[in-house]
Amino acid sequence: MKQRKELNVNGKIYEVFVEPWRTLLEVLREELHLTGAKMGCDDGNCGACTVVIDGKAIKGCLMLVPQAKGKKILTIEGLGSGENLHPLQQAFIDHFAVQCGFCTPGMIMSAKALLDEKPDATEEEIRSGLQGNICRCTGYVKIVEAVEAARDKLAQKSNPL
Amino acid sequence: MRFDFYEPTTIGECIEMLTHFGQEASLLAGGTDLLVKLRLRHIRPQAVISLGVIDELKKLERKSDGSLEIGAMKTLQEVESSNLLANEFDLVRQGAGCVSSIQVRNVATLGGNSCNASPSADTVPALIALGAEVQIVGPHGERHLVLEDFFTGPGETVLQKGEILTEFKLPAPSSHSGGTYKKYAIRGEVDISIVGVATRLTLDRNHKLQEVRIVLGGVAPTPNRVRRAEDMLVGQDPREELFEEAAQLAAEESRPISDQRATAQYRREMVKVWTRYTLQETFQKARQNHHGKG
Repeated sequence: MKQRKELNVNGKIYEVFVEPWRTLLEVLREELHLTGAKMGCDDGNCGACTVVIDGKAIKGCLMLVPQAKGKKILTIEGLGSGENLHPLQQAFIDHFAVQCGFCTPGMIMSAKALLDEKPDATEEEIRSGLQGNICRCTGYVKIVEAVEAARDKLAQKSNPL
Repeated sequence: MRFDFYEPTTIGECIEMLTHFGQEASLLAGGTDLLVKLRLRHIRPQAVISLGVIDELKKLERKSDGSLEIGAMKTLQEVESSNLLANEFDLVRQGAGCVSSIQVRNVATLGGNSCNASPSADTVPALIALGAEVQIVGPHGERHLVLEDFFTGPGETVLQKGEILTEFKLPAPSSHSGGTYKKYAIRGEVDISIVGVATRLTLDRNHKLQEVRIVLGGVAPTPNRVRRAEDMLVGQDPREELFEEAAQLAAEESRPISDQRATAQYRREMVKVWTRYTLQETFQKARQNHHGKG
């Protein structure tokens, strides 16, 4: 049976009318038309659906929509504003950390949660923080470089000399 | 996948709902295992009852006697990063840190990892090695049992109609002890364990082995202790050859199956290797703690 739910996504309150068995990922994509989070495996393995909830990276395909009630959801659409890219987004472009692009939103959201929690994350911590995100094109080297570059950029911003 | 969704706010309310729906209900903790089963139509419950807003299930407390209580709904990430669980209880952190990816650990719970009853659940051998007890609450009150008696088979536990696992109790550990959990999997944490071994050693004043726990995951229908090896080691002077012998016993006691991840023969061999490694590592930790605390 459909129920009215309020979802706080990217700072905006959306009202949706959905069945409780819909996943957060389905509702983001199909009801709110936020198609940045991708549906890959749909069983929690690939990480393409990663979004950030209350500051923590989660897999959107493994969460029922009622579980997201009252929480702050951040998707890739809430990160930059089209013209102004987030340093992570810019770094992925600059370092050519994108090939087919399907894993990119998930990678960036995992990296975002990681750097928010550990702004000085080491390469090893970055690799371990991205373990739940699978990329089948790049071999991860460029992705890790991009996250390191974004980390350095963000550090400069918060400590201008 | 069609069901009604319920969100009780107290344990009592939850038990009433569970008793009412019986077999037709599934409990939702973090959901990282449940959603996959729902999606694959392995289960088709009429009601999904979420434990998400029951605050009583989220405690983490060190008691005055040194023991520790962890609510079933603590997430694996909270467990892994908790300072209360550092040092003597570090084994639990090691186990929790081995489960899947950070996105899953941010949602999956310690109680869920036990109740899902996968033979290869990574937190279970660690908890058993620490002597964890579970508190079960149901329509007829509460009962307690040691975690190793909680499992009855793959995906099966002693939980009766209307009952839920509410918390884990870890007894106060001796300071002269150490513990190690090692997971063996092809693709690291994100993969399901081929073998998981937790060992815990406590040294007495004369540096002899006072207490020994060796717990295997992934190589039998339920995680279990290798009592033959534990008994053989107790009272002995820790030495390399003894660890070797204990590892051999652990391999003999294991009852692995062959599946897509590994053959039974390979698993048994890995039990031997991993038991030896973890015993060596655990002994080093126990010895350091012994010296550290005079």
